[in-house]
Amino acid sequence: MAMVHRSEFLPWLPPMGRKTLFALALAFICFAFAFPVLWLILTSLRPESGVYYVHRGTEFTLGNFAEVLREERIVEAFVNSALIATLATVFSLLVTVSSGYMLSRFTGPASRLWFGTIYVFRCVPYISWVLPLYFVTQSWGIYDTYTGLLLPHVAVHICFFSWLMKGFFDGIDPSMEYAAMIDGCTRWGAFIRVAVPSALPAISALAVLCWLFTWNEFLFALILTGNRVPMITVVMAQFVTEMGLRWNLMAATAVMALVPAFLIALFGQKYVIRGLRI
Amino acid sequence: MFGEQQRFVLLLIAPAALLLLLFQVVPIVIGANASFRDWALYNPRKTWIGFDHYVAVISDPAFLYVVLPNTFLFMVLSVAGALVVGLALALLLNRPFRGQKLVQTILLVPLMVAPVIAAIMIRWIFNDQFGIVNVVLEAIGLDGQPWLVQRWSAFGIILLTDIWLWTPWFTLLLLAGLQSLPKEPFEAAAIDGTTTWRVFRFLTLPMLRPVIVVCVVIRAIDAFRTFDIVWTLTGGGPGRSTELFSLYAYVHAFLNLDLGRGSAAAIIGGLIILVIGVVLYRLVDRIAKA
Repeated sequence: MAMVHRSEFLPWLPPMGRKTLFALALAFICFAFAFPVLWLILTSLRPESGVYYVHRGTEFTLGNFAEVLREERIVEAFVNSALIATLATVFSLLVTVSSGYMLSRFTGPASRLWFGTIYVFRCVPYISWVLPLYFVTQSWGIYDTYTGLLLPHVAVHICFFSWLMKGFFDGIDPSMEYAAMIDGCTRWGAFIRVAVPSALPAISALAVLCWLFTWNEFLFALILTGNRVPMITVVMAQFVTEMGLRWNLMAATAVMALVPAFLIALFGQKYVIRGLRI
Repeated sequence: MFGEQQRFVLLLIAPAALLLLLFQVVPIVIGANASFRDWALYNPRKTWIGFDHYVAVISDPAFLYVVLPNTFLFMVLSVAGALVVGLALALLLNRPFRGQKLVQTILLVPLMVAPVIAAIMIRWIFNDQFGIVNVVLEAIGLDGQPWLVQRWSAFGIILLTDIWLWTPWFTLLLLAGLQSLPKEPFEAAAIDGTTTWRVFRFLTLPMLRPVIVVCVVIRAIDAFRTFDIVWTLTGGGPGRSTELFSLYAYVHAFLNLDLGRGSAAAIIGGLIILVIGVVLYRLVDRIAKA
């Protein structure tokens, strides 16, 4: 690929100028993408007295983080969010890998019907089913509990992830599975021992995405939880209205909420990039 | 009753189908039922009132002249913006240069940021008194603006936040698409000395079209239901001028405590996006087959 199309933009510029321009453009783009996060981090390191003049002070402190961590509700929210995100990832994958496999390996009315269902429900706006879900979970007695938040989170991933999984399995040659079945493997054996291991990079990519989506999700948490199961996104949004002026604490909370997501994404980046070829 | 293969097929989708039934189908049916009833949270009489809520929503000037135009404008501009920027960045990352890996990692940063956190950051950056944007503007002799309390600047900031958040998603999928394109046509074009623009216009773009269309469809449907960044950035304000459809339904159900009317709004929005979704799906199908 490297030696292929070396035709350049701005051919009238001398190579040196072109290089500088390219580097400047790159630097600008990176700056635009990273600036909000950098600014957030900087804000989180300023003491209360300096937070309104982030750009000028020279004092820095880790006190904001310590103060935030003393708030029981915030710590609890972190634990809840991490727990729900992890459980939702496990259950979503269990459910959608098999559903995507079915969509990919079988054609026929059942498969077409299931695909149509998935597509339609993928289009339905969250608000249209989460709003009444508020009543459903209340009447089932699971409002504001782990179950009541976890299962809708698994349900929301079914459509999109089944669709993605179908794409992944489409890219895997089924002849290995046929060979396994001729050698005496059952259908389940062929699926679990042959197909799933060869789809592992894609499944890892989905795991990363699923964890991030659940960790970052807001609307479900807002509607389906009250005081018993605080989630980190909701707690932060309440911050904005309740503690609107204490930007240093808000920034510290937000930075801490970014850390797990960054670690997961950094670690999983290569799987996502490899796994997402559609 | 079923053959061995049918049993296998059904078992593969059974857990997913069951969850879908319990947590999407059942609520949607209950929501549809509620939309036909006089169902306020403080006084759930639940008497049947037919299409009254639907009429109320459709004849509500706020819904018709603010919420719907906002939602469509947001959907189109957000998708177009993220597509253009995302495609440009994907093309950039597809050429080898020093530090390419680092740039790629930086460009993917927004993908990890929760929309709520993004909204909080942007709110702080555009804070009218202490935000860095106004500080910089005043330092170079311009007037700072109360960004989030004027309709169009608030709308623009919501849009900007959304594009910032979702551009990496386009970049990622388009980059994956670019890297899986066959190399021969590009080699041929290079030998012929074709210009960059013509290579892009007549080779890259047509070959990338299926990926682009899939991205646009997925994103358009998601953009239609945007809730979190608007809620955290402006709460639909100033007044109700930046409300999108999801916010409208939420406000009616949980702030005005009128579940019937909120459900009706949610169903109307759902029907609209369903029509759009089916049309877009047809489009994808035709393009994929062409």
